[in-house]
Amino acid sequence: MGILGKMSILAALLAEAIGAIKAFVPQVLYEPPSNFKVGKPDDFPEKITFLPEHKLYIFRSGKEFWAISAVCTHLGCVVDWKPDQAEFYCSCHGSVFSKDGSNMSGPAPKPLLWYALSLAPDGSLVVDSKKQVAPDYKLSI
Amino acid sequence: MKEKLSRIWKGITWSWSPKSSREASESVVRNFWLHWFPSRISLRSMSWGYSFWLGTFAVCLFLILAATGLLLLFFYVPSVQNAYWSIKDLENVVVFGWLLRAQHRWAANLMVVTVFLHLVRVFFTAGYRGQRVWNWYIGIALLVVTLFLSFTGYILPWDQLAYWALTIGTGIASSLPLLGKSLRFVLVGGNVIGQSSLLRFFALHNFFLPAALFFLLALHMWRIRKDGGLACMDSLILETKSREIAVSPTKTYSLLGVTEGTTIQVATTEVLDDTNSVHSSPHLVRRVAVVFLLTTIITLFFALLSPSPLEEPANPFVTPIPAKAPWYFLWLQELIAITTIRIGKISISGGLIGGILVPAFLILLALLWPFLDRSPKEAIGVWLHKSRKKQNTVFIILSAAIILLIIVGVYLRGPYWNFYWPWRPWPKIPTLF
Repeated sequence: MGILGKMSILAALLAEAIGAIKAFVPQVLYEPPSNFKVGKPDDFPEKITFLPEHKLYIFRSGKEFWAISAVCTHLGCVVDWKPDQAEFYCSCHGSVFSKDGSNMSGPAPKPLLWYALSLAPDGSLVVDSKKQVAPDYKLSI
Repeated sequence: MKEKLSRIWKGITWSWSPKSSREASESVVRNFWLHWFPSRISLRSMSWGYSFWLGTFAVCLFLILAATGLLLLFFYVPSVQNAYWSIKDLENVVVFGWLLRAQHRWAANLMVVTVFLHLVRVFFTAGYRGQRVWNWYIGIALLVVTLFLSFTGYILPWDQLAYWALTIGTGIASSLPLLGKSLRFVLVGGNVIGQSSLLRFFALHNFFLPAALFFLLALHMWRIRKDGGLACMDSLILETKSREIAVSPTKTYSLLGVTEGTTIQVATTEVLDDTNSVHSSPHLVRRVAVVFLLTTIITLFFALLSPSPLEEPANPFVTPIPAKAPWYFLWLQELIAITTIRIGKISISGGLIGGILVPAFLILLALLWPFLDRSPKEAIGVWLHKSRKKQNTVFIILSAAIILLIIVGVYLRGPYWNFYWPWRPWPKIPTLF
């Protein structure tokens, strides 16, 4: 077999392999939307509310609201809020985050993410988990 | 009549005893099941004290895993809604289902132990030297596949252990620079762990990884024969050759016309005689059967003694406190928890260092070791040869470090991965649900 023949077989096998690998990359995601309503501002009491289904903490201080992700930046476990210490603790590997989400100790390499908050036309709070904001972003209403 | 009865009895019990050397050798060549055995096997290779038969034990464990796994496939449903409940059914409804699962789990745990101990044996007897380096590589690949099989296996019950192990495991994958995020996306089958993740790990656990293991195992067995048997054969050859006159150069040693010259196989057969070896059939056959029976008894014993645990159903919203991996991965979990490095404003995640770089370094070290080893040929196939004191010490320190980390992870870590002495009670953590 000549070089051309060998190369053709190789190219055909390679094309097959690429096709097979591409099949493993999902084209449609049946996942919850990244943009979602969490309720009316008045539903949220002062200080902090945990929304487990969104892995999210909503903070309220008077008319100001902000949203901090509960997903640990180390390996993705859910962090617990400890009201006594006013800190977040990760149950998997012991990372500790301050009230504003900055990583204080433990293995977490980055602060907790802050998500953009906005108001829907019906007055509900909307969280956009695709849109990260600086850790001083607060929605005033 | 007596003779007839005796023949029937022999037919049932198969107490086969070859009448001549030739008959014994031929039985190996002519039998499909035995053709991968050598005709004769040295007493050294046969002894319990040299290899502890760890490789054979590992193969037997794999066979038990394959058999119990195939049966489990009839009852397991790979869907996030039903997986957990199908395991519950196995535990409580299917007749002897709990035993099947417990034996599968115990065999998996013991396989990790056995394969590691097998590696320890090969290291301490310098069984990776010379041409055996390829089999050392195949062996390391087999260890890695065994660990991946364990990981993918405990994902399937879809309980809390499974869900959070998958979260942490894929988190480690995503901490890889550049490719990490895409790798996690493909492993999980999206951004959120769910049905596609379970199905992917199900396919890996039930076909691709066992197939890889089977293929590597076949290569491993073939290489043992090609390399002239276990490493202890080399020391036997060295000792015999120093006593005896060299083989006649006019003699041809071609093996069915395929191999030319004096190959290692020829050297092996040259030194084996009635004083230092026995016929594989029936001795090796009997020994393998004994090891297989022992493995079955041991796994059954443990399965009866301690059935498999099952945590609560997977709950993506609540991380267990603490979330611990099975014991054989706890050294890695300990590493990922303590190896995050901060230099100024830059931090490198423990997921990358402890979860990827350290294991990769250990594998690389194992791959390079045969080339770093400068001990004499006399050390091959000899337990703890005096010329290898230093390298054995390094190996023991590394292994002890891993074992120590496992002990810390299993016994000394509590809620939020804090350190607790075993006699110190854990604080009560209020639960959300």
